[in-house]
Amino acid sequence: MATAVASQWKNRRRRVFESVFQTDISQPTPYSTPAATFLGQNQPFGGPAASNDHHYHHTRGTAASSAAFFPLQQKQHHPHPEHGLFHETEPSVAHSPTTSSQSTILAESPPAQPRFPSLVNTADDQIAYDRAWHVVTARIALPASATADDSFGTLAPESQQTPRGSVADADFYEAMNCLVNAKTVLPRATHTEDIVSWHAQQVRAHFAQHVIPLWAVCVNDQAVAMWVNRDNGYERHMAIVMTSIRTLEAALRLYFYGLELLMRGFRRAEETSGSDKGTADAELVAVRFRRDIHALVSISASEELMRSVRFVMMRLVGTVLGIPSVDASNADTSQPDRPSPPTEDDVKAAAARQRLHQLVEQLHNVGLAGERFQVMFAEIMDQMMCDFVRGAYAGVWTASDRPIFSTTPNTISRSAISSSSSPCIISLADWVENHFSRLSYEVLSRTSPSMSSPVTLANVKTYQALALSRLAVLRIAELFDIVLAWPSSRGALDDLRATITTSARRLQLTTSFSRALQTRLLHPGCSTLEILQTYIAIIRTLHALDHSKVLLGHVEPNLRLYLCQREDAIRIVVIGLLASPEEVRAARKATEVAKRQEKSQREGVKEPSRRTRADRAPFMTPVMPGGSSRTPNTRRRKENTPESGPKSRPATPTSARPQVPTKLVELALLLNDPAQTRRAAPDEEDLDWNDMNWVPDPVDAGANYKRPKSEDVIGTLISALGSEDVFINEFTSIIAERLLGEPGRFDQELRVLDLLKRRFGEAALQNCDVMIKDVQDSRRLDAAIRRTRQQDGAEQRALSTPAGPPGRPRENESTSSAETQYHARILSRLFWPALEREHFLLPRPIVEQQKEYEQDYESLKSGRKLTWLNQLGQTRVELELRDRTVTVDCTTVEATVIYAFQDPDSSSDSDAVRRSADELYNELQMDEDLIAAALSFWASKGVLRRLQHGVYAVAETLTTDPTSAADQAGASASAEESEPQQDPLRKPTKPAVDAKEQERRAIYWQYIRSMLTNSSASMTLGQMAMMMKMMIADGFPWSNEELQEFLSEKIAEGQLEVTGVKYRLVKK
Amino acid sequence: MSYSMEDTQNSAPESINASKLGAARKGNDGQNAAKRLQTELMQLMTSPAPGVSAFPSADGNLLSWKATIEGPDDTPYAGLTFKLSFEFPANYPYAPPTVLFITPIYHPNFDFSGRICLDILKDKWTAAYNIQTVLLSLQSLLGEPNNASPLNGEAAELWDKDPALFKTKVMDRHKDIEDDE
Repeated sequence: MATAVASQWKNRRRRVFESVFQTDISQPTPYSTPAATFLGQNQPFGGPAASNDHHYHHTRGTAASSAAFFPLQQKQHHPHPEHGLFHETEPSVAHSPTTSSQSTILAESPPAQPRFPSLVNTADDQIAYDRAWHVVTARIALPASATADDSFGTLAPESQQTPRGSVADADFYEAMNCLVNAKTVLPRATHTEDIVSWHAQQVRAHFAQHVIPLWAVCVNDQAVAMWVNRDNGYERHMAIVMTSIRTLEAALRLYFYGLELLMRGFRRAEETSGSDKGTADAELVAVRFRRDIHALVSISASEELMRSVRFVMMRLVGTVLGIPSVDASNADTSQPDRPSPPTEDDVKAAAARQRLHQLVEQLHNVGLAGERFQVMFAEIMDQMMCDFVRGAYAGVWTASDRPIFSTTPNTISRSAISSSSSPCIISLADWVENHFSRLSYEVLSRTSPSMSSPVTLANVKTYQALALSRLAVLRIAELFDIVLAWPSSRGALDDLRATITTSARRLQLTTSFSRALQTRLLHPGCSTLEILQTYIAIIRTLHALDHSKVLLGHVEPNLRLYLCQREDAIRIVVIGLLASPEEVRAARKATEVAKRQEKSQREGVKEPSRRTRADRAPFMTPVMPGGSSRTPNTRRRKENTPESGPKSRPATPTSARPQVPTKLVELALLLNDPAQTRRAAPDEEDLDWNDMNWVPDPVDAGANYKRPKSEDVIGTLISALGSEDVFINEFTSIIAERLLGEPGRFDQELRVLDLLKRRFGEAALQNCDVMIKDVQDSRRLDAAIRRTRQQDGAEQRALSTPAGPPGRPRENESTSSAETQYHARILSRLFWPALEREHFLLPRPIVEQQKEYEQDYESLKSGRKLTWLNQLGQTRVELELRDRTVTVDCTTVEATVIYAFQDPDSSSDSDAVRRSADELYNELQMDEDLIAAALSFWASKGVLRRLQHGVYAVAETLTTDPTSAADQAGASASAEESEPQQDPLRKPTKPAVDAKEQERRAIYWQYIRSMLTNSSASMTLGQMAMMMKMMIADGFPWSNEELQEFLSEKIAEGQLEVTGVKYRLVKK
Repeated sequence: MSYSMEDTQNSAPESINASKLGAARKGNDGQNAAKRLQTELMQLMTSPAPGVSAFPSADGNLLSWKATIEGPDDTPYAGLTFKLSFEFPANYPYAPPTVLFITPIYHPNFDFSGRICLDILKDKWTAAYNIQTVLLSLQSLLGEPNNASPLNGEAAELWDKDPALFKTKVMDRHKDIEDDE
């Protein structure tokens, strides 16, 4: 089926070809016209001028009209070109019936009747020349059969029919002599022609008529087969290439046979004529002919053929260079083999190399190794280099601690690559020199034998530079992943450092990295914590890459801008800085564990692969676990790559550090790292003439560039978060929160404070100092007051810590008031962040304590008054229930609420005390939200039960009777219910915010009014917003819409009017 | 302030020489003045004084303000509103602002081009004064001119001799100006 289709198609193709080109070759008689017209192919027997001439003579006697004869003959020639050609000189050749009569007439006619007497001699010479021409051309005429490629192996039948005896040869050489020395032998022959040109011409025609179609058929047969079998394999392409080469070889043999004959004739002729000038000409002619033929071949090589050649070359070159081809590897494993150069004894590579040499030589011989081939080869080599670099080094970041070369590297250009180079670079340079360049040399020396040294040492260097730039491009593309994998990716940074040498490349790095940041990090899918963690990694990575920080400076702006949108960024940084030593230890342990795991993984990988490593001796891809082994070990690879393979690198930072806790503990770790703050005095450094590592400032550094002295992650991070004021404010409020929380020593806080002082100066952090001092002072004061009270005789034990005012109190209280211990923290109001007072009534015992405390304080510090911030306290509550005692640490609000449940007369043990939220509201004068939250809190502790909406009772016993079970259920249900309404507990400042907001709005109104009074009587919304933003020191957080809404309210109140787009005050 | 902090970040303490410090302080002046003015503005807004108000001019330049004084009752200026301009030097508050009446005013201590004769705006200035105090002083000056050192001798004379004529002259001279139209 396939063959039938193919042959049909073949025929059709040939017909089309013939119809277009009319490939009737062989006009044995030269034209009388110059050679320029020689190309005409559709002319019978000698071309128009000559044939007219001849026919005139020949046909005149027979009174046949040349006009009538001519078309006929012409017509006959087409179907039987091979017979009609030589009718004049070889009448014996079989003719088809229709032409025979004509031919006979021609053959019988006497040789060239002189047309004009004066022309007789001329005609004789001309006839002699023509005869000689015919003899020669008949001898070297090419066969016309084009049915099978094997026919090219032999000479044309007519040539063969001629006995090879001395007679024929003698005739031939004599004729050649006539032709070559036409000027001397036949001086009057006016129409002479160059026989070699004729041969070239007929070769061209033959090539076009027979070889190209055949060639096309070869290619197409295979192409069709490929299509039919859905098989794009190497073998098919190889078959195409080989049949093409064979076809060409046969054809060329044929052509060169003719040429050889001519050459021999030339030599004879020269011998006869005694001149030796022709020899050089003949050689020249032969060389030119050869060149023409090769050009012809390479020009007519079809795209399909070149594609096949490319494919075959790719495969062979790939094998020789150790780069697995794509289709070979994708079949069996999901992860293709990493390329690595073959060893000396790799049979496959050796075979491929040999095959390649053969192929190149063959291609060269048939003329297919011309410029086109060289361009193709260059492209192939280029792609191979890309493939190799990408395949062998992608994701290979870990610096290998083992030498890569188990044998001494035989690299002559070793010195070019500095000894400190990374393993990847060394191995790459080795590959380029020992494999890439070698192959280039081998191929190029075969295609252009004339060149003495196709690959020079300079070329090798160029190749290495190219390979390095490819590596750089790869690393640049990987940079984001490298950052994520820090610090295990140091090796990759070594590569980058060595390859990023020009400012253009640095720019490329920063642009590409910025783009990666934009798409992979700076989007809503990443939490602020992740972004900050990545930022830290970026700082450290880029610092390792470039100590000057210029690169970092180029990358940062986008990141900073984005971080400004993340409101929690500063908070996360501060909390990270303040991470407790325990958290730091835990994080450190986690890191170590992760490291150990990674290590053990890697070792686990190494163990089994050691076996395989031994036999791929000279080359070892640096540490890619599981990746570099060329021995297929699918199972092992599958096991290991998920953790360590480059493909498993997570796309987002989230999965990159699953072990990382929820705080930015890295900062706390860095805080303790002395290297972070170490900096040398700049003068010293500039004067250090012995500093061998000194490098000039980077060329792309800005004008105000200042060489940074250390990595200084924290500093960079803080400065990235916007103005220091904002940072300090946030830090202050967080510190305040912590100081008001659990009592402790605040060591970490103090250390962070010291660090920040060094950065921002003492003055900026004065508030924090005062705050810490407040807390410490109040501890002392507290002790003093307690001593006083003990002297007063009151037996008071101290346990808990209220904070005092001008701050706030904290009370600690349980069922029996007498034993309540009461502590306060005294805060200096001006130095603390705004703390709202929350009004509610404390239990009476506490109020008494408070009063006493206040008196004691005022007696100690005369002239000062305490303002209590009741809601900020903490309490330890002990609840004695019927069947159990519960001890709970809670807030003062919660304690106050549960105190209200205390049985008024503890003797009655009848019913559990029950209270409704409304009662509590009246009794405690506490915010309803707070009450609800506190009730839920106690219900969740199992102390209270929710009876019905808003009514709770004390759960005196933990009975399991149905009622209380139901109550329990109800209680828990209520706890759940209260969830959505936002536990006020968690947001105790919420109401305060509203009050603040009210105050803020009043101030804003004042601003607006004042602005409209003084600056400009009427302003647009935009102007106002702009002015507000500029004029308000703490910033103006409203959007234009919010402002507009606010103004609308004022318009509604009649204070403002709007004309067009401008607002103005209403005149009173 | 913040500049000099940065310097200490990036260099050893001894490397900061005197000239650098001097330069840093100089560069900070404008900023300090702006900061101070922002603070004053905030104070004006949070605790406004009756009858006076001030705000930076509409071009957003903090060193240039506009202010308004309402004429105190029981004075010839009752019911009138006066606009003033404040120009603050870069080293404010160590130097006094330049204050001018924009609204034409007839007053012994103010000349016809709005210039003001007030000691606290000249040699008696201290950094403890601020916009609000200046405005209040001017307001009180409206009711109690200092006729000992008049800029407008006729007004000083009339103030005592012919309060009715004085009042007329005040009303003649005064005209409300719409600043932006």
